[in-house]
Amino acid sequence: MNETKQKRSIGGELVLPVAGVLFTLYYFSTIIDSPWTAQVSAFFIGTILLCLCVALFIKNGMALARGDAAMTFHTLFSRLDISSGRLALLMITIGYAILIAWGGFTITTFVFLFLAMTVLNKGNSKGFIALLSAGLSLGGYLLFILAFETRFPRGPFETFMELVLSNGS
Amino acid sequence: MEVDFAFFAELLVHTLSFWWVIIPTIFLGLLVGAIPGFSAANTIIILLPLTLAMEVEIGLVFMIALYCASRMGAGIPAILVNIPGTAGAAATPLDGYPMTKQGRGQQALAMSFVASTLGGLLTTLIALAAMPILAEVGYYMHSVEMIVVMLFGISLIATIAAKDTLKGLIAGFLGLMIGSIGSDVVYATPRGTMGFLELYDGVPLIPALVGLFAVSEAFIIIEKSSIVTDEGRANMQRPGWGATLEGTFFALSRWWHITWNSLIGLIIGVIPGAGASIASFVAYQQSRTFSKTPELYGTGHPEGLIAPEAANNGVTSGTLIPLLILGIPGGATAAIMLVVLQYHGVNFGPSLFFDQPELAYGVFMAMAVTYALMILTILPLSRYMSRVTLARTVYMAPIIIAFTLVGSFVPREYLFDLYLGLAFGVIGYIARKTGYHVAAILIGVILGPLLETYFLRALKKSDGDLMVLFSSDLGNTLWAFLAASIVFPIVLDRYRRRKSRSSAA
Repeated sequence: MNETKQKRSIGGELVLPVAGVLFTLYYFSTIIDSPWTAQVSAFFIGTILLCLCVALFIKNGMALARGDAAMTFHTLFSRLDISSGRLALLMITIGYAILIAWGGFTITTFVFLFLAMTVLNKGNSKGFIALLSAGLSLGGYLLFILAFETRFPRGPFETFMELVLSNGS
Repeated sequence: MEVDFAFFAELLVHTLSFWWVIIPTIFLGLLVGAIPGFSAANTIIILLPLTLAMEVEIGLVFMIALYCASRMGAGIPAILVNIPGTAGAAATPLDGYPMTKQGRGQQALAMSFVASTLGGLLTTLIALAAMPILAEVGYYMHSVEMIVVMLFGISLIATIAAKDTLKGLIAGFLGLMIGSIGSDVVYATPRGTMGFLELYDGVPLIPALVGLFAVSEAFIIIEKSSIVTDEGRANMQRPGWGATLEGTFFALSRWWHITWNSLIGLIIGVIPGAGASIASFVAYQQSRTFSKTPELYGTGHPEGLIAPEAANNGVTSGTLIPLLILGIPGGATAAIMLVVLQYHGVNFGPSLFFDQPELAYGVFMAMAVTYALMILTILPLSRYMSRVTLARTVYMAPIIIAFTLVGSFVPREYLFDLYLGLAFGVIGYIARKTGYHVAAILIGVILGPLLETYFLRALKKSDGDLMVLFSSDLGNTLWAFLAASIVFPIVLDRYRRRKSRSSAA
């Protein structure tokens, strides 16, 4: 039991090299028929990256064979991801990125901040979180959209405020 | 008009009379510099109707103050929450953030402000004195020389990889590969774009910066209640001016370090197309190479913070030299200044110094006055700014995600960039959790496309002859410096080990 615990978890550290290898091979497939100017730099960098990744695979393979390492993903995924609210935060963040196109900056940011803070704070201090979320999203609206005139994603709130402000002037 | 001491004294007094423009602009600049996605260039564009309506002198002072303050502002979130406001501050958190985690955020801010101010002031004065000579630097820096400068920056990957060479190099080359996404510079052949039109221009830097640093950091910090260690938290419970003074005096005691690194920034800034990110990476690498304690870099070493901050503020004055003397802007902000000033009828070139010396020299005087006023206004605030790090991470993490992800949308206004920021966040999170350094990935993303551009230019000129890389005297000198900067630390390290062994015996 103790021996298993002492083994180095190497599954997680292989994720980026595997992704790197797959991406490099895909990249090569997109330039295989291109002029040399499009190939030279990428082939040079890509080949080095492939060699480095292969070296890491061999190094970790040898550690596995010696019994010094285990093909586990403890370093990347653990129960802490659920208990700390990290997984929930990731889901809420993905939802935020998708919904902001329809909900607009102010409303979506308010909902995101409220939900994320409530989840991370285990449901405590909801009143304070609601006030903080409202203050920040409205502050963001005033600073970015009204003051800097940044073309942030617009939704019902921004459209409504635009109507109110244009009638007022 | 005669350009003598009396002229400069009068110009100084005249520039100081614009304090009412400079001080509010400093705060605006610090704000836009601190938010990823915003920059001095963006802000000047947004406020263009206002800038064009201003008198030429006021408009100029406004733009200069915004430019300098935004450069300094970018370092504040880099130090406090590991989020560089711009790519130019990407090397700042390497040692700035570890200092904050140790509860030395206030000292780190003070050091950063002093290094930025001294670096900016010094290079401004040098620019004033040696403008014609410096303007010629751009003429001598061709593609071959630029390749070596880029390699100086990229060699930082090897430094970062020192703890785990294989993983460090994989991170760096993965970044270089990601940086290669987009159309090639000669025939515009799309490469590795996965069918996304938004990637044809290459990977935008802000989503990469936001994702790798900010989003991934937000997902990491929620494991603890505060980003500051318990010991650091205990130190910060006793707030006072002592930490600010300590940081200030430490930075002042490293005046030579600041001078050297700000000069690196000035020279890189003069080269059109180079920028603050290259300067800060090169400065960090050089600082570590010649340090007596290179092993402390990356652990919260003050010199590792001072070097990039001095260099990226040195770039500020450097980018304006080719603009004033040659009419060639050294960067995006300088290009927008060119447009605004040309609208006001200002003609750039050597004649500007004879026809309108108060305007030509006034640019650098405005810069010097801005830096002087900036240190007076911002240094006392370091005590309060550092308190941000005591906020609970349950509140801080969602705020970081919301405002930085949206920041990645700002430069191009594509929702795609927001998704890209999130994707880089996932890459950054995996990298941090599995022992790969996000800074190495970012260096690759930033410098990779630039290196390829200059490399292809050099090869096109020489019909594919690789020996072109060693065809110029200046280039060969830089190659020698590069080789020395790689070999020197190894030799020095062996010498120190031998010395410590002999002294132990």
